[in-house]
Amino acid sequence: MTNSTVIPLLGLKKGNRSIAVILAIIIIFITPISSHAKDTPIKVIDFRGKTLTFQKPVSRIVCLIESALSGLYMLKQHDRIVAIPKVVYDGEVFKHYAMLDNRIKNKTLPSPGNWDFVNIESVIAIKPDLVIIWASQKEAIKSLEDRGIPVYGVFLSSIDDVYKEITDFGILTNSQKRAKWLIDYTKGEVSKIQKRLVSMSMQDRKRVYFMWAQGTLETSCGGSTVDDLIRLSGAKNACNLPNTEHTTVNLETLIRWNPDIIVMWVNNKKSPQDVIKDPQLQSIKAIKTKQVYELPEVFLCDLWTLKFVYAVKLLAKWSYPDVFKDIDLIEQKEAMIKNLYGVSI
Amino acid sequence: MNNRLFIALLYIMPFPLILISLFLGPTSSIGYEDVLKCFSSANIDDTCQLTREIVLNVRLPRILLTFLIGAALTISGNSLQMLFKNPLVSPDILGLSAGAVFGAALSLAYGIIPLQLSAFVFGLLAVFMSYLISKTGNTVSTITLILSGIIITGIFTAFLSIVQFLTDPFKLQSIVHWTMGNLHNASWEKLQSSIIPISVSVTFLIIMRWRLNVIALGDEETKSVGLNPHRQKLLIIVLTTLATSSSVAVSGMVVMVGLVVPHMVRMLIGPDNIKAQPLMAVVGGSFLLIVDNLCRTVSQYEIPISIFTTLIGAPFFIYLIKKGKVIFREM
Repeated sequence: MTNSTVIPLLGLKKGNRSIAVILAIIIIFITPISSHAKDTPIKVIDFRGKTLTFQKPVSRIVCLIESALSGLYMLKQHDRIVAIPKVVYDGEVFKHYAMLDNRIKNKTLPSPGNWDFVNIESVIAIKPDLVIIWASQKEAIKSLEDRGIPVYGVFLSSIDDVYKEITDFGILTNSQKRAKWLIDYTKGEVSKIQKRLVSMSMQDRKRVYFMWAQGTLETSCGGSTVDDLIRLSGAKNACNLPNTEHTTVNLETLIRWNPDIIVMWVNNKKSPQDVIKDPQLQSIKAIKTKQVYELPEVFLCDLWTLKFVYAVKLLAKWSYPDVFKDIDLIEQKEAMIKNLYGVSI
Repeated sequence: MNNRLFIALLYIMPFPLILISLFLGPTSSIGYEDVLKCFSSANIDDTCQLTREIVLNVRLPRILLTFLIGAALTISGNSLQMLFKNPLVSPDILGLSAGAVFGAALSLAYGIIPLQLSAFVFGLLAVFMSYLISKTGNTVSTITLILSGIIITGIFTAFLSIVQFLTDPFKLQSIVHWTMGNLHNASWEKLQSSIIPISVSVTFLIIMRWRLNVIALGDEETKSVGLNPHRQKLLIIVLTTLATSSSVAVSGMVVMVGLVVPHMVRMLIGPDNIKAQPLMAVVGGSFLLIVDNLCRTVSQYEIPISIFTTLIGAPFFIYLIKKGKVIFREM
């Protein structure tokens, strides 16, 4: 049987033959692809190295980490979130999440615990497809997995880990395109900062001491998101110990490091002025030159989310005000929120 | 109320309590009506399946484990208070808790040994070390045993501080939370792993109840009835250590129960261990179950049990001290 006999039988005019042939080809090629996509399980490997397999995108997520929740909202997966960490209702972040989700505003979204204390019964009752929790919570993870609830364990020690988390969430929620866009946008913003500093020698780079809110001597060194933050802003971490996510240093060591700048994490007990007045720190260069800065509220520069890019810009401007004098940080902040969340907060 | 009737009611109390506890939980969508409906009907829809899963695999193992631990800690506390002739003694007097916490911290920070096993082994090791230090020849003085316990507690606390200092904030948080009680992670597996050592040791401590009365009077009195005081003491230490370390390994630190509940029981029925010792298990289990019911129901998220045991136990103990009701030696 030839085409010339088939087409008249189908009742098509000769002029429509080419359209019919193209459609047939498209159908032939697309059908196996779509059925393949439907049948291919979704697979991601979490930060414990555990492979999670799903037959379809997860639709009911219990997210017990605030930073991971932020990622899900950036991916615009509001509808898949069925429970959130308690800290969202209690903390300063509430006002921001209330603007992202009416269920949070009205406090109707369940909160079966935080990353540290999980109410297993409440989680089971929510019937989740997936629970997102810190990988270090081995006991809670075991309790959930023993009851057949898949768990995505998170452990973030670098900015690359933040990218991996967003990529994985994109795969799990069938929003890979959005995940890729978010990562490309963030990398692009970081790249803009770095391009301006490319000609600066390592000797001229500022040395930054990062001070956690727990105490003057608490800092992060190599192998941490803080280290990445300082590096990406074009500065150097005063603490160069390898693989030290969090440590308490000796006061003499801090004085010996003599950092050019001190950057404080959000601190409710102490202001930069308090640090500048600290009699024990008076010999440090950053104190003498009054180069002590505090990062703004956690929601805006959370180092475990793509919002770390705002902290990078802040640090870059504090370190090299002349190089970044044209950068308006308020504009940058608003643009970042708009781009990451798709709304103005 | 008739004394016998009162004691009978105390023995019966756990049965309705356990049954009521099955209906209690943080899940507002699963009320007592749902539980009744799903267990009385042959038709099992999705909601009933979920209800059954929660009642049978979440609430029931937790209730039974809580009762078991309450019984173990109370009976151990009472036995050690008798042994040391001291009303302020709790099951961790010989360094057991400090050892168990160090073992748990080691597992949470480095994960070399499973958590439960690590807590259990280091709890036992701490008591064994206290005993060895206090042993002079074939005798073990009560005072030196308590002092050894204090020293061993100090040593394991220092080891714990090293682990906490070296670990990252997340693991540190997990360690701190483990010390507040960990019953929210109860499971059939944990119940299976602890039920034999706890049941065996609790049963033997109940069987030994009349000996406790004699031991509480002193070594000479113990000898006069034909018992070897050192052997009896060692046996009590072994049994209480087994019961407590098995409990701590699955529940984390549950404070105040082993100290306060024995006094409650003595207030209720007097200090005679022949009557009191079996009731220690019943009242201790019931007390912890009531407290855990509070932890499970006051909010949708978990509240560590030690917060409640301390908030309830401490004022009660202060009341006992102020009223001079710390009944002990008068039998």
